[in-house]
Amino acid sequence: MKEKIRTLLEDALPLVDFDSDFLFSELDSLGITTILMTLSDAFGIQLEAVDATPRNLKSLDSIVAMVEKKVKSE
Amino acid sequence: MKSEKVMTLEDYLQQNAQRYPDKVAVIGGNERLTYDQLWQRVQAKADELSVSEAPRCIPFRASQTVGFLITYLAIHLSGRVAVPLEKNIPEGLYQEICDRLSCLSSCMSSCHDDTLNGIADVLFTTGTTGQSKGVMISHRTIIADAENLIAGQGFSHDLTFVVHGPLNHIGSLSKIFPVLLLGATLHILDGLKDAEAFFRVFESQGKYATFFVPANIRFLLSFDAKRFAALADRLDFIESGGAPLAHADMLQLCQLLPHTRLYNTYASTETGIIATYDFNDGECLAGCLGRPMPHSRIAITPEGLISCQGDTLMSGYLGDPELTATVLRDDTVYMSDYGHIDEQGRLHIGGRENDVINVGGFKVAPTEVEDVAMSVPGIKDCICISADHPIMGRALKLLVVMAEDTAFSKRTIARYLADRLEPYKVPMLYEQVDAVARTYNGKLNRKHYQK
Repeated sequence: MKEKIRTLLEDALPLVDFDSDFLFSELDSLGITTILMTLSDAFGIQLEAVDATPRNLKSLDSIVAMVEKKVKSE
Repeated sequence: MKSEKVMTLEDYLQQNAQRYPDKVAVIGGNERLTYDQLWQRVQAKADELSVSEAPRCIPFRASQTVGFLITYLAIHLSGRVAVPLEKNIPEGLYQEICDRLSCLSSCMSSCHDDTLNGIADVLFTTGTTGQSKGVMISHRTIIADAENLIAGQGFSHDLTFVVHGPLNHIGSLSKIFPVLLLGATLHILDGLKDAEAFFRVFESQGKYATFFVPANIRFLLSFDAKRFAALADRLDFIESGGAPLAHADMLQLCQLLPHTRLYNTYASTETGIIATYDFNDGECLAGCLGRPMPHSRIAITPEGLISCQGDTLMSGYLGDPELTATVLRDDTVYMSDYGHIDEQGRLHIGGRENDVINVGGFKVAPTEVEDVAMSVPGIKDCICISADHPIMGRALKLLVVMAEDTAFSKRTIARYLADRLEPYKVPMLYEQVDAVARTYNGKLNRKHYQK
C-alpha cells in the first residue's frame, strides 16, 4: 500500500518530498486538498478536513497509517 | 492652487488609535494588538527605517503575520513605497527585483522624477509577455478601494475580517484597507491548510467575513461542508474573487449559508476594486459581477472589452511609461476581459482577449513558463496550456516533447521550474506528447488546446 500511495501522491504533487518527516509543514492548502482528494478517490474512503492534522500528515508512513485505519473502519 | 491633503491609511490608523485605543486591531499567530499597540509598533518601525536611511522603495517578502502589517504600514508612514513580494519567490528573482527597484529609484532621484510622489505600493504582476510589471498604487487609490468595499459589501466597525491568502496580492491585501479605515479587526492566518485553525477563529461570538479564491471554497465544500455550514450565523459575508467560481459551488454556498452575503467581485491590480455582486440574491447569476462601486465607472469598448475609470485605478507601471500607455489612457484602464452590461447596469464577464492564464487569481503568461521549460535538459518542445483541475477549476498544464532517449520525469521538470519561477507559475499537470500543435507559420497554436 505504501508504494501505491507514494506513486499516487508523487504523481499528483511532483514538487513535494514524500520522504520528509516534516511533510505537513511543507504542504500548502492546495497540497492538503490534493492529498485528501487523491486518497479518497483511490481507496473509496471518506476523508475530511479534520483528518488533515499535522500528526496524520507528518510523513508518508503516517499517511499510510491514516488510510489503513480508514479502510478498516469503512 | 490649494491642494487637498489626501488622508492615508496610516492617518486613519492614528485616528483610530486615539478613538479606540483598546479595540483589537489585528490578530495573527500568538500576537493580538490593539489599535494603540499597533500604532506604537508602526511608529517605532517607521522611525527605524528613517534612521537607517532605507531606500525609497522597500521590497520585502509578504509573510502572513502581524509583522507584515507593521512593516507595510511603517514603510508608508516613513514616506517610502512598500513592495510586498511573494513569500516563496526564488532568491534569484527576489534579487532581480531588488536590483531593478534600486536602479529605478536612483535614476528617478538623479533626474528629479516625481513619479513616486503619492505612491504607497508597487505590486508585481505578470504581463502578457511574461516580464513582471510593477503596478504603482497611490495612497488615494488605497482609500478609494477601502471606501468601495465599505459601500459595496458592508464592512463595519464591529467586523472581524479573516484574511488567509497571500498579502502581496490585491485580493487579500485590499481587505486591510477598509478594516483599518473603520477601526475593525483583522485576523491573519497563514493559509487555509490548517482547517482546525481556520474554524477556531470563529469560536468567539462576533461578526465575521472572509475572502476566498474558488479553490478554498471547493476545499471547504468537499471536505468540511458541515462545519462550514455551522458558521452560517457568524459569517456576515464572504467575498470570492481571483477566478470564476463554479456555478455548482455558488449554488451550494447559497444553500449552506442562506443568510450570508456572498460576493463575486471584479478587481485587478491595475483597476483596483471595481464592482461586486451578492449572488445570494435568489438569482445566483454565474459570471455576474454586479454594479460599479461608488468610486468606479465601467464601460464596454466597441471590441467588447471592459474598461474602467475612477479613483481606484493604478498610477501606472513603474519605470515603463510606454507599457503604461498600452493599458492606461485618458484616465481609463483598458482590460483584456470581454464583458457586457445588462439592463440593470450589472457587469457580466466573458473570456480573455490574450493568452494570459488565470490560476486561482494569479495571472500567468504561458510564454514565461515555456521559456524556462525549454531550458530543461531533454525537453525538445513544449506548450503551457490551461486545463481542468478538480480543485483549482483551471490549472497550468505543460505538454512536453522529450528528445530521443530521454526519459520523461514530471518530478524533475517541476523541480527545475520551481527553482526558477514563482510557485504559482509552476504547472500542476504534465503530459508527454509526440508533438505540440503549431500554426502554418510555426507559432504555437494555443487555440488548438482551448475548449
